[in-house]
Amino acid sequence: MTKQRIFNILKKEWQVMFTELNSLMLVTVLPVIILAQGLLYVWLIEKFGGESMINSSFFQSVLRKISEVMSAVSNLEITEQLQVFLLSQFNFYLLLIPVMIAVSFATFSIVDEKQTHSLEALLATPVRTWELLLGKALSGAIPAIIVTWICGALLLLGVQVLGWGDLLTYFLNPAWFIILFLLTPAISILSFLLGVIGSARAKDSKSAQNLVVLIVLPVLALIGIQISGVVWFTTILTLVLALAVVVIDFFVLKVAVRLFSRESIIISWR
Amino acid sequence: MLIETFKLTRKFGELTAVDNLDLTAEEGKILGFLGPNGAGKTTTMRMLAGLISPTSGYAVVDGIRPDKEPERVHEIIGILTEAPGFYNNLSARRNLEYFAGFYHLSDASAQIEKYLKLMGLWERRQDKVGTFSKGMKQRLALSRALIHKPKILFLDEPTSGLDPEVSQEVRGLIKNLSREGYTIILSTHNLSEAEQLCHRIAVIRTALVTLDTPANLRKRLFHHQTMIKLEEIDDNLIQVVSKLDYVNKHSREENTLLIELADPSKHQADLIKKIVEAGGRIIEVTDKKHSLEDIYLSLLNEEEKI
Repeated sequence: MTKQRIFNILKKEWQVMFTELNSLMLVTVLPVIILAQGLLYVWLIEKFGGESMINSSFFQSVLRKISEVMSAVSNLEITEQLQVFLLSQFNFYLLLIPVMIAVSFATFSIVDEKQTHSLEALLATPVRTWELLLGKALSGAIPAIIVTWICGALLLLGVQVLGWGDLLTYFLNPAWFIILFLLTPAISILSFLLGVIGSARAKDSKSAQNLVVLIVLPVLALIGIQISGVVWFTTILTLVLALAVVVIDFFVLKVAVRLFSRESIIISWR
Repeated sequence: MLIETFKLTRKFGELTAVDNLDLTAEEGKILGFLGPNGAGKTTTMRMLAGLISPTSGYAVVDGIRPDKEPERVHEIIGILTEAPGFYNNLSARRNLEYFAGFYHLSDASAQIEKYLKLMGLWERRQDKVGTFSKGMKQRLALSRALIHKPKILFLDEPTSGLDPEVSQEVRGLIKNLSREGYTIILSTHNLSEAEQLCHRIAVIRTALVTLDTPANLRKRLFHHQTMIKLEEIDDNLIQVVSKLDYVNKHSREENTLLIELADPSKHQADLIKKIVEAGGRIIEVTDKKHSLEDIYLSLLNEEEKI
């Protein structure tokens, strides 16, 4: 029965989401912008060489850091090194897609229930809180994961077409697979649950939407840390990070079930 | 008794919404919760439905404690909330399918078809609920409360905000459900609705003011009065009536005499005879019937005095 209920929630959430223009825009426009940025960098460097950036002291210091963890990079042409460096940032930059989609779907999903008063009738059914939250979390996380994977595949294709011949071999490392197949699902679920917690406690849709910004910040911090060369996320470090997020997922699901108080929803949602 | 409460109490901070409520609901009957706004009707209903927990005391619904096993209670109840919400971008049918999906139903499609037809919504089943009128949404909400064949129905202000025609239609549906054997808890502040529909009425004002049938409430609060409408009333006639030893009380309202008799079945015929002999020309003799509104106001006034 639990599976049936979770699937029931999933199916309904998708039907509601995909009748909304905002949701469709979110899953199409945002990934296209992020993807286009990545490919544009590769193309620009290939076409114009990126001379000014190559000569900057900042890039030189980051390049030394990359060379420490990827020794093969130091044998490359300077333009190729620049492409490797910029594309490496896209490992984490791509994570903005699942985070933004999942959080937005979460806030939309809860705010919609609040605005239409449909939740009291739903809570009067035998559905359990964790079934409801997991169903909703998956409904946001699955499209976010699929869209990220599609973007990942398109990015690889674009790099192959627009970049220099062997660029893909430097880009397609184990960290890339860990990010795509472990960190992306884990961070999608985490973002959705945080979105649910925040919007369940938010007073109105505006404050719920503002939460999106807060949840995106840690991902931006990751990008910042790597781009500044302070910490370079090697395969091991990326794996540790992904596993930590998986553990956090379970913890946050428990917290979400506790915070998603049926009583306060029924009493205070007007 | 299908439902029993024992000193059921719910507080919200300093505010006591429901105070030491003891009541019972019989199987297959409609029990009305009557009371002014903020009297605790909805809170009581939510506690019985396992949606919120009592602060103290408890309820037993078909042998189950709603505060301990809410999911089991949810299996056997259907609820129509005061502001029933739907997924407006989905069709009526899809909305019902979604809610039916949370129960062990082998014949969900047949149930959905049955209630959409019964509520007159079958032709509009593929239309988005967002395009429905308030009355249609109310009928759809009633369908939603019924699709899983619940034993008990909780109806919170089912005709609130509906126009008189639709209200009458919804009341008809509730009467039919009662005939089918559903146990119904109906919360309302519409007195005539309670009178038309309920077998018993619990007057609630945070605590239980009284619980009885409308007829018993009348009997308990008001003595029987005979109303005699005459062409004309003079002092002589009043004197004749006041001298009769079986007349406990009498009063006059224009050309109508209101007389409280010691034993109406025994003395009414003699009273009429005496009035005619005194020259009174009688137009009509009726028993004064007190409306539920009279009863309700009287009960609340009594409670205020206490």
